[in-house]
Amino acid sequence: MILLMSLCFVSMTLFCLAMEKHRKQILSSEFINFPLPQIMVVSFKPLAWVMLFITLTISVEQYGWSIGPAVFFGALSGCLLPLILLLTYRANLIILVSVLLAIILFVIEL
Amino acid sequence: MKGSFRQSMKWLHTWVGLVVGWILVFMFITGTAGYFDDEITRWMEPERPLTATHIDKSKLLDISQHYLETHVKNAKEWRVILPNSRDANLKVMWQEQPEEGKRFGKFSTKVLDTDTGLAIDNLRETAGGRTLYRMHYRLHYMPSIVAYWIVGFCTMLMLIAVITGVIFHKKIFSDFFTFRAKKGLIGWLDIHNVLSVTAIPFHFMITYSGLIFFLTTYMILSVNIGITETQKDKYFNEVFPRTVEVEKSDDYQPLASLSDMYAKSHKYWQEDTLAYVKVEYPLDKNARVKFTRWNTDLTYNPDDELFFSGETGKLLDIAAKQVTMSGQIHRGFISLHEGLFASPMVRWLYLIIGLMGTGMIASGLILWTTKRKPKQMKNTNGPDFGYRLVEQLNIGTIVGFPIAVAMYFWANRLLPVEMENRAEWEIHCLFISWALLLIYPAFRSGLVAWFEQLKIAAFVFCFIPVLNFITTDKHLGISLPLRDWNYAGFDLVMLVIGVAFAFTAYKVKKHIPVAQKSHAKLTKNDIENKVTDETISTLAATKETS
Repeated sequence: MILLMSLCFVSMTLFCLAMEKHRKQILSSEFINFPLPQIMVVSFKPLAWVMLFITLTISVEQYGWSIGPAVFFGALSGCLLPLILLLTYRANLIILVSVLLAIILFVIEL
Repeated sequence: MKGSFRQSMKWLHTWVGLVVGWILVFMFITGTAGYFDDEITRWMEPERPLTATHIDKSKLLDISQHYLETHVKNAKEWRVILPNSRDANLKVMWQEQPEEGKRFGKFSTKVLDTDTGLAIDNLRETAGGRTLYRMHYRLHYMPSIVAYWIVGFCTMLMLIAVITGVIFHKKIFSDFFTFRAKKGLIGWLDIHNVLSVTAIPFHFMITYSGLIFFLTTYMILSVNIGITETQKDKYFNEVFPRTVEVEKSDDYQPLASLSDMYAKSHKYWQEDTLAYVKVEYPLDKNARVKFTRWNTDLTYNPDDELFFSGETGKLLDIAAKQVTMSGQIHRGFISLHEGLFASPMVRWLYLIIGLMGTGMIASGLILWTTKRKPKQMKNTNGPDFGYRLVEQLNIGTIVGFPIAVAMYFWANRLLPVEMENRAEWEIHCLFISWALLLIYPAFRSGLVAWFEQLKIAAFVFCFIPVLNFITTDKHLGISLPLRDWNYAGFDLVMLVIGVAFAFTAYKVKKHIPVAQKSHAKLTKNDIENKVTDETISTLAATKETS
């Protein structure tokens, strides 16, 4: 469940990065303030879709074909609210949170 | 209806949402609480022992079987509900032999003390989480059938609101993540959109499946007109298929050991997920035992149920229920609606998304008044009756109803334990407090009423753990070190809700003009100042949104 929500969070962050107005919000921190290469910007959206698909597959793997998709949509809705609130109030933390989540997941899965 | 297609959809969305909005808030809050009905009941029966130790299921089955065999001899059915993540107590239920001409006998439930093997007899009479959940679809103080129709009407309008909302929302994808935390119209519009769009799969599923629950009630004509009794039976058997029934033999036969059957079920399932055991016609030669594990499928998995002969304890090969395709879909939607398959984490997710749904309707209702406020404030005689009524109902429901629910929990702790009709009085307390809170805003100006009710809400929720400390011996200081998370969790969640209300109250307080704080009535000057401020911001907002 934590795995699914984190993956959803990361892929939704990618979707945010793919949109110009949100990219500006997110990348306003002091760590990242250089323009991103075009190839990276273009790849955010397809990457996000791939990650979402992977998340769905993991959900199905964990819960089976009938419960898996339902849980996937739940996780997606559940992670969107914190993401949007972060985007409004602390947008520069999003990258940090995403990276941290990825590291935590990696450690758990090991 | 007026203007373009999109305009008329918007019109429909606004009015459909407004008409039933308050009942929907009621239904969403009680329904969301319903996902934790067992946990709430457990808190409302503080006489039950705290349980944290894990006891092997076969021992628990032995204890239950021994209790039922000695205390409940002439029953139609026994049930053993094993401790689980939702309710850590061991429970037994039974159904007495039905009276002549009736299908079901009286049901009773007892919580067993695993140390002594005896039932806990001094449980207080409480309506529990079950009744709170029942209000979600059955309301209260009226015949079921009327309640079902009211609920169905509201659900249908909500479904219309969901669909029209999707149609007239201009930029679902480009504004997907947009939430501008600004005062006034923009902020409320954005939060309404965010709460609706992010949880749209849930909103659609919950409304549609809600209608499916009572399909035979709502489709009354197609179920009843020109249909013979046999056709009707056939139809019901198809939608709600049953396992082949057993006949009572009237010959006495002691029941084989449940724990032996448990060993067999464990071997068959290869996992320890037994949820409950049902014994049909116990102590009869034809007794049949059913082991059910936690749902592994949304629809129907015949492997989730195992049948044993009560006489020999052997695994029986019973034909699976004949579930048709439409039956599968029906079961799937109902399971989704109730979260029957939900593990603890998924259940929490249901709670959060349920609250998002409540927030969606609440923000929609507030949006209605926010939009009309500048124009209404310009009226020389103050706002119209309609506007004031909506504002009053908003305050009384969005903040008032949660307070009423808290009063329900207060009543559980404060009403005398030996009181007659205690359970019914708990419910009366809920509705009396709600009625008072609905009337109260009529005597205060808008923001002040919001602030005061939010303050009350913060207090009543934060005080619940304290109340529990004063009135019972099972407070947080004891339940936390014991790690009884079910019991301690309730207190903690109440605290969190209380703090959330306190935070909101603090935020609202900042918006109350100084003059209003001292004497709640608006002076004319204030109104004028406010109107100019808000007209400017709303004008800007309308410009931006269009």
